[in-house]
Amino acid sequence: MDLLSNLGLGLSTALQWQNVLFCLIGVALGTAVGVLPGIGPTATVAMLLPITFSFDDPTAALIMLAGIYYGAQYGGSTTAILINLPGESSSAVTAIDGHEMARAGRAGPALAAAAIGSFIAGTFATLVLAVAAPALANVALGFGSAEFFSLVVLGLIMSITLAAGSPLKAVAMIVLGVLLATVGQDQFTGTPRFTFGERELYDGLNFVSVAVGVFGVAEILRNLHDPERREKIVEKVTNLWPSREDFRRIAGPIARGTGVGSVLGVLPGGGHVLASYASYAVEKKVSNNPRSFGRGAIEGVAGPESANNAAAQTSFIPLLTLGIPAHPVMALMIGAFIIQGIVPGPAVMEREPELVWGLIASMWVGNLLLVLLNLPLIGLWVRMLTVPYAVLFPSIVVFASIGTYALDQNPFHVLAIAFFGLVGFVLVRCGCEPAPLLLGFVLGPLLEQHLRRALLLSHGDPMTFLTRPVSASLLALAALALIVVALPAVRRKREEVFVEEE
Amino acid sequence: MGSRPSEADRSTGGLRPRSSADLIAGLVLAAFGLAFAVAALGYDRGSLLNMGPGYFPLVVAGILVALGVAIVVKAYVAPDLSHHDTPARSDGESRDEGLAFAAVLWRPIVATTAALVFFAFTVDGLGLVLATFGTALIVPFAAKEMTVARALVIAVGLTVVSLVIFVVLLQLRLALLGEWLGG
Amino acid sequence: MATSGRRAGLLRFGAALAPLSLLAACGGGGGDPADYPEDNIEIIVPFAAGGPTDTVTRLITEPMAEELGVELVVQNVEGAGGTVAAGQVAEAEADGYTVLMHHIGMSTAPTLYPDLDFAPEEDFKTVGLVTEVPMTVIARKDFEPTTLEELAAYVEENADTVTLANAGIGSASHLCGVLMQQAMGVEVQEVPYDGTGPAMEDLVGGQVDFLCDQTTNTSQQISEGTVKAYAVTTPEPVESLPDLPTAAEAGLPDLEVTVWHGLYVPAETPDEIVEKLTSALQTALQDQGVIDQMADLGTAPVAQDQATPDAHSELLSAEIDKWSEVLSGIQAE
Repeated sequence: MDLLSNLGLGLSTALQWQNVLFCLIGVALGTAVGVLPGIGPTATVAMLLPITFSFDDPTAALIMLAGIYYGAQYGGSTTAILINLPGESSSAVTAIDGHEMARAGRAGPALAAAAIGSFIAGTFATLVLAVAAPALANVALGFGSAEFFSLVVLGLIMSITLAAGSPLKAVAMIVLGVLLATVGQDQFTGTPRFTFGERELYDGLNFVSVAVGVFGVAEILRNLHDPERREKIVEKVTNLWPSREDFRRIAGPIARGTGVGSVLGVLPGGGHVLASYASYAVEKKVSNNPRSFGRGAIEGVAGPESANNAAAQTSFIPLLTLGIPAHPVMALMIGAFIIQGIVPGPAVMEREPELVWGLIASMWVGNLLLVLLNLPLIGLWVRMLTVPYAVLFPSIVVFASIGTYALDQNPFHVLAIAFFGLVGFVLVRCGCEPAPLLLGFVLGPLLEQHLRRALLLSHGDPMTFLTRPVSASLLALAALALIVVALPAVRRKREEVFVEEE
Repeated sequence: MGSRPSEADRSTGGLRPRSSADLIAGLVLAAFGLAFAVAALGYDRGSLLNMGPGYFPLVVAGILVALGVAIVVKAYVAPDLSHHDTPARSDGESRDEGLAFAAVLWRPIVATTAALVFFAFTVDGLGLVLATFGTALIVPFAAKEMTVARALVIAVGLTVVSLVIFVVLLQLRLALLGEWLGG
Repeated sequence: MATSGRRAGLLRFGAALAPLSLLAACGGGGGDPADYPEDNIEIIVPFAAGGPTDTVTRLITEPMAEELGVELVVQNVEGAGGTVAAGQVAEAEADGYTVLMHHIGMSTAPTLYPDLDFAPEEDFKTVGLVTEVPMTVIARKDFEPTTLEELAAYVEENADTVTLANAGIGSASHLCGVLMQQAMGVEVQEVPYDGTGPAMEDLVGGQVDFLCDQTTNTSQQISEGTVKAYAVTTPEPVESLPDLPTAAEAGLPDLEVTVWHGLYVPAETPDEIVEKLTSALQTALQDQGVIDQMADLGTAPVAQDQATPDAHSELLSAEIDKWSEVLSGIQAE
C-alpha cells in the first residue's frame, strides 16, 4: 500500500539514530528555552533556527527544527501552568485551568495531562496528515476571506464561554483585545494607527508583552498582595501523576480536542489559533459540571492542549502540499527549507519523498520524545514552584524583560509589559479575566483583515457573507452558538435571585 | 472574580454602586474605548467597500464604550454576583476577592513597574549587564521585608544567570555595554 | 538631526530612550581599518527570518565569511517596511562591523515614509548590489486572458470587477502592481494581504484574480501549473522560466522592475573597509553554490561590475527618483 510504504520510508528516515538524536536535542533545547518566561514558541524557534542552518543534511535540520517546535510549545504550556504565564495564545487557554490546578497542588497531573493529550493528538494528526494531506489542502483552498471572517465571528462567540465569571465583562475584554490589536501600521493603507508617531510601534504591540503583562505581572502583583495565595501552592504539591479518576476524565476531552484541532489546523490563515479556544468551549459545553471550569478542571487542560497539538500538526498540510505557510512558525520553517536548498511547493512531496515523509514521521517521533523526556521531568518542573517567591518573581520580571527585548531589540515591548501589568492588575481585580483579552488580541487582526478583504473582493457587497454557502453556514452556527451561550446566562440570572450573598 | 459588595455597601443603597469592582472595570474599559475612538476619528474612515484605517477601530471602540457603560450601569442595578453561585475555591481565592480595593499595596506595584521601566529606558544606554542588574536590584523590593543585602544577592545572581542563558548559551547578539558607556 | 527628532518623539511618549546602537559592543571598534576584520560582522536583515531577503542574505554570508576570515552573523530586525533596521544601521558605529542588507525598499522608503529618520543616500555608503530578482505577472489558473496583451485588454474592459493582490503596502508586489496599472493605463481594485503566503494562497484558490510577485515566491507555483503566468518584468528573459516572454515582448514596455538587493554600511565607514567588503561580496557571487541556489529561486547573482559601490549608488539614486514619481499620492502617513 502506498501510504504504508510512504510511512515506512518516513520512519526509516526518522529513526536513523542521528536523526533521533537531533530530534531529541531539538526537543530538549526547545523545552529549555520555551520554559523561560517571556519567550514564546515563535521566539524560541526564531532564536534556535540558525543552529539548523549550519547542517549539511536537510533532513536532519528539519527534524531537529520539528523537535524544537514541539519542545517550545510544551515549554510554553509549562510556564502557563506553573506561573500563569502563557507564551502564546493557545497556552493562554491552558493557563485558565492549568494554573488553578497548580494552585491546588495539582501541577503534576496538569503537566502530565498536557503531555499525554499532546502525544495522542499528535499521533492521530500525523495519521491525518499522512492519509489526507492532498485532499485536505484542496478543501482549505476554497476557504476565502468571507469564510474566514465568519469562522472568526463564530470563534469569538464561542469564546465567551472562556469566562468563569461575568459574560458581559468577558465580551468587553475580547473587544478590548481586538482594539489593542489595531495598534500599528494599517495593513491595507500603511497608515500608522495609535502609534504616537513612534516607528517602534508600527508593527503593533507584541503578543508576549501583552501576555506577560496581563497574566504574568498581574499574577505577581496579586500574589504579593496576598502571600497566602502563593504559599498554598508550595504546601500542597503532593501527587505528581494523574489519578485513575483523572485519566477517566481526560479521555473524552483528548479525543474531542484532537478532532477539533485536526480540522481547524488545516485551514490556512489562522485556523490553528482557534483550536484551543474551540476545544475549551466544547468541553465546557459537554461537561456535566461546567462550573468547575476556570477553577482547575483537568478537562480544560487536556482538551485544549490536544487540540493545539493536533492543529500544529495538521497546519503542516498547507505548507507541505501548497508551499504556503499557515503561521509565523511555518514561515520560519519555509526559510529553513529554502536555506537547505529545498523550495517547498505543490510538488515537494513527489520530488523529495524521503524528506517530506521523514519530516512527517519525525513529527511523531518528536511527540514521542517529548512525552518520554517530559514526563520524568515533571517532578523537576514542579519543583520550580518551591523556589522561594522572593527569588522567583524577580526572575520572571528579569527574564521577561530580556526575552521580549532580545527578539527585535525594541525597548517599547518592555514598557508595554509594565503598562499591561498595571492595566491587567486593575482589571483582574475588578473581576475581568485576561484570557478573553488575549483571544481578542490574536483574533482581532484576522477579523479586521478578512472583513475588509472580503468586502474588497466582493466589491463592497456585504451579502457576500450570506451568499457563499460555507460562510453562511458558519454564521448560522454562530447565531446558534450565541443562543446556546445566552441561555444558561439567562437561566443563571434567575437562579441568582435566590442565591444568598454569603 | 470580583470584589464582593460589603455589608455596608448593600445597606447604604441609594446611589452608591453595589459593586465597586464593576464600577471601576466599566469605567476603565469605557475610558479605553473612548481614547481609541477619539484617536480613530483622526484616521480616514473610507466606505463600506473600501474601509479606511479608521473604520474598524472606530466601530470596535464604540462597542467597547457601550459595553463599559453597560457594566457601570450594572454596578448600580445588578452587580456581578456570578462568582457567588459557584462552589468556593479550594484556596485563598475568596480572601483575595474580599480584599478588593481596601488593601491595594503600592510597594509591589511601584517596584515592579519601576523595574520594567528602568530596563526599557536603560538597556540601550547602559547595555544589557547594567540594565539587568538594575532591574534585578529594584524588583525584589516589591516583596515585603526585603533587605538591601538580600536584594543585592538576588540581583547579582540573576544577572549572572541571565548572562549565561542569553549571552553564553543562546548567543543573542546584545550589547553588553551601552552607548552611554562608549560600548 | 535625525536623532533629535527621534528624541522629541520619545519624550512625547513620556520617555527619553537613547538612540539605538545595539550592536556597537559586538564590534571590535576603534581598530585600524587595515586590520579589518578582526571580529565577527553583523549583517542586519530588515525582514523576517526565512523570507526572500533573509534567504538571499544567508546564501552569500557563508562564502563571504570564508573570504573575510570571520563569522558573518545574520540578525533580523523587522519593522515598518525595513525602516527600523535601516535607521539602526544608519546610527551604528561606522566601523564595518554592522552591515545592512536591504532591497528595493531602500529607494521607496523616502516616498512611503515622509518622516524617515535617515536618508538612504546620505547616511549610508553602498557596498555593492547582490542580486536583481525578476518579477512575474501571474493569475489564477482559470483566469480568462492567456497573454499579457489579452490581460491588459481584459483588465481595461473589466476595471470595475478585477482584483489585484499584493503582499502589503510597500512590498515588492505592491510596487509592481502600481507600475503595472500605470503601464496598462487603468486603475483596479487592489487587495492587500499580510505577506506573500496568504496572497498566493488566495490566488491558487481562485479567490483573487492576478498578482505580480518575485520569482523567489512564484517560480514553484508557475512550474507546477497551479497559477497562470504571463510575463517576466526584466529586460531579458529569465533562464529558469524559458516559456515566459518579457513584459516588453508581450506589449508592456513600461513594466520593467526587479527587486534589487544591496549591502550598505554607515556613511562614515572608511573606504578601505568598504573595499574589503565589496571584494568579499564579489567573490561570494562567483561561488557555484550561490549561483545554483539562486537559480533554484529563479534569480542570479549580479554581474561583477554591478557588485560595486558605484553601480549600486547609481541604481539607488535612479530608483529613488523613479519611485517618488510612481508612488506620488501613496504614502504611509
